[in-house]
Amino acid sequence: MKLKKIAKVLLSCLVAGALFTGCGGGDKPADKPADTGDKPAASTGNVKLGMISHLNVTEQKMDEILKMVEEESNVPLTNFTVTYYDNLKLMQMGIESGSVDQISLYTSVADYVIANNDKYEKVSDLTLKNLSDTFCFAVRKDDAALKADLDKALDAMKADGSLDKLAKEYITDVDKGTAPPAIEIPMTDGAQTIKVGVTGDLPPLDYVSADGKAAGFNTALLAEVAKRSGKNIEIVDIDSGARAAALSSGQIDVIFWVVVPTVSKVPADIDKPEGVELSNPYFKDNIEHLKLKK
Amino acid sequence: MEFADLLYKIFLKDGGWLTILNGLWVTVQISALSLLLGTVLGSLLCFFRLGKIKPLKIVAQVYISIIRGSPVLMLLMLLFYGVFARQGLSPILVAVITFSMHTAAHVAELLRSALMALDKGQVEAARTLGFSKWQAFKLVTFPQLVRIAKPVYQSTVVNLIQWTSVVGYVTITDLTRVINNIASRTMQPMITIIGGMIIYLALSYLVYGIFHWTDRRRTQ
Repeated sequence: MKLKKIAKVLLSCLVAGALFTGCGGGDKPADKPADTGDKPAASTGNVKLGMISHLNVTEQKMDEILKMVEEESNVPLTNFTVTYYDNLKLMQMGIESGSVDQISLYTSVADYVIANNDKYEKVSDLTLKNLSDTFCFAVRKDDAALKADLDKALDAMKADGSLDKLAKEYITDVDKGTAPPAIEIPMTDGAQTIKVGVTGDLPPLDYVSADGKAAGFNTALLAEVAKRSGKNIEIVDIDSGARAAALSSGQIDVIFWVVVPTVSKVPADIDKPEGVELSNPYFKDNIEHLKLKK
Repeated sequence: MEFADLLYKIFLKDGGWLTILNGLWVTVQISALSLLLGTVLGSLLCFFRLGKIKPLKIVAQVYISIIRGSPVLMLLMLLFYGVFARQGLSPILVAVITFSMHTAAHVAELLRSALMALDKGQVEAARTLGFSKWQAFKLVTFPQLVRIAKPVYQSTVVNLIQWTSVVGYVTITDLTRVINNIASRTMQPMITIIGGMIIYLALSYLVYGIFHWTDRRRTQ
């Protein structure tokens, strides 16, 4: 009886395993003709591209934005048929299962992916380097004092070069294979506490270390902001799909925000939902596309 | 990279397994508390639903149909980000409330169907033989009720454990959230998710095992 049960469990694990690896394995042969067909197609037509969806922006709106960016920057974005994913993990599963041919990431994240998973390589398409996104904080509109404080801290950090130093320390200089260590955020008694939502979805900027602590460049940045603004910062780990609800309901006060490529025709806050205010940018990164190695 | 190395890197390195255990503990905590509260609340609901007081009966009916007909994640988000947003309740408490409410509706329905499967004549016979109402319930209805409801209850428990996997939406780091975090950090989503599935599967089999064990004890 017991043996039968164990056998059952093992069998179900095996089936699950076979199903998943089956997907991956089955794709590769299917991928090959698709990919070789893609190379010439890349200049003329459709490459299926995975993108992380922007909070609060419908896909139609996003298409509009991409078109505007294309007009301004001469990067042929309309060659791509875009599929939106909620987070990096789902996007990765999308490319591994063959739903998309390329995925769009930031250079720092792309480096991290390649260092940790040798199945990936960069798409050598230099025009994409013209595009860069900037990172900032988003707060509720009625929280103007908080925005002012964050801006002040960020400006001060920019002025004395500590922002660049942090970026160098936690992004550029990080040994690509290993993740930067978690940082303790100083807590002072009696000070105002603000809650910052992190998703753990975007290493090396934002991830959760093996011992379960939020870590990465964003955490280091927050620690510095806490020191300069005299506030306590509490990091809250939250699913990326619930960030908007959490921010607007007041359960958290700050989320991280990415501003679409800024060119003259496209205002920085084009995808900004109502009721949200953006801080000054603290980091800038280029777009990079990844594909699976053949 | 060799597969064993990969597994080590994903699940064990730098105390990663401890984090997984912590997540598992949160999942078990929420499930166990919700099950306990949900069962008590569900029995009460079932009592109202089958009782003779009209308003309570209608309330129970409406409650059961609303809760059973809506996804538990919506209820969870509604409670955490809407109803209890300003009260400062801990997310785990809100999750337990949500899943208790959800389980209660299901338990009420499964108890009702079990009660309906019972032979009414037996209770009537017991009553004519001089048993009090309570005695008839305790000695005639209840033992049979347990026997009939048990298999369905067992699957409710297993379902509950799996429903709790959405608590990442309300800032709780449960097993699913830990697995997601690991997948993002190690950039190996497929293997990590299979690992997570196996842990949930083991938990479900533990529940089956416990039910099986109580079955055997009763027959002995």
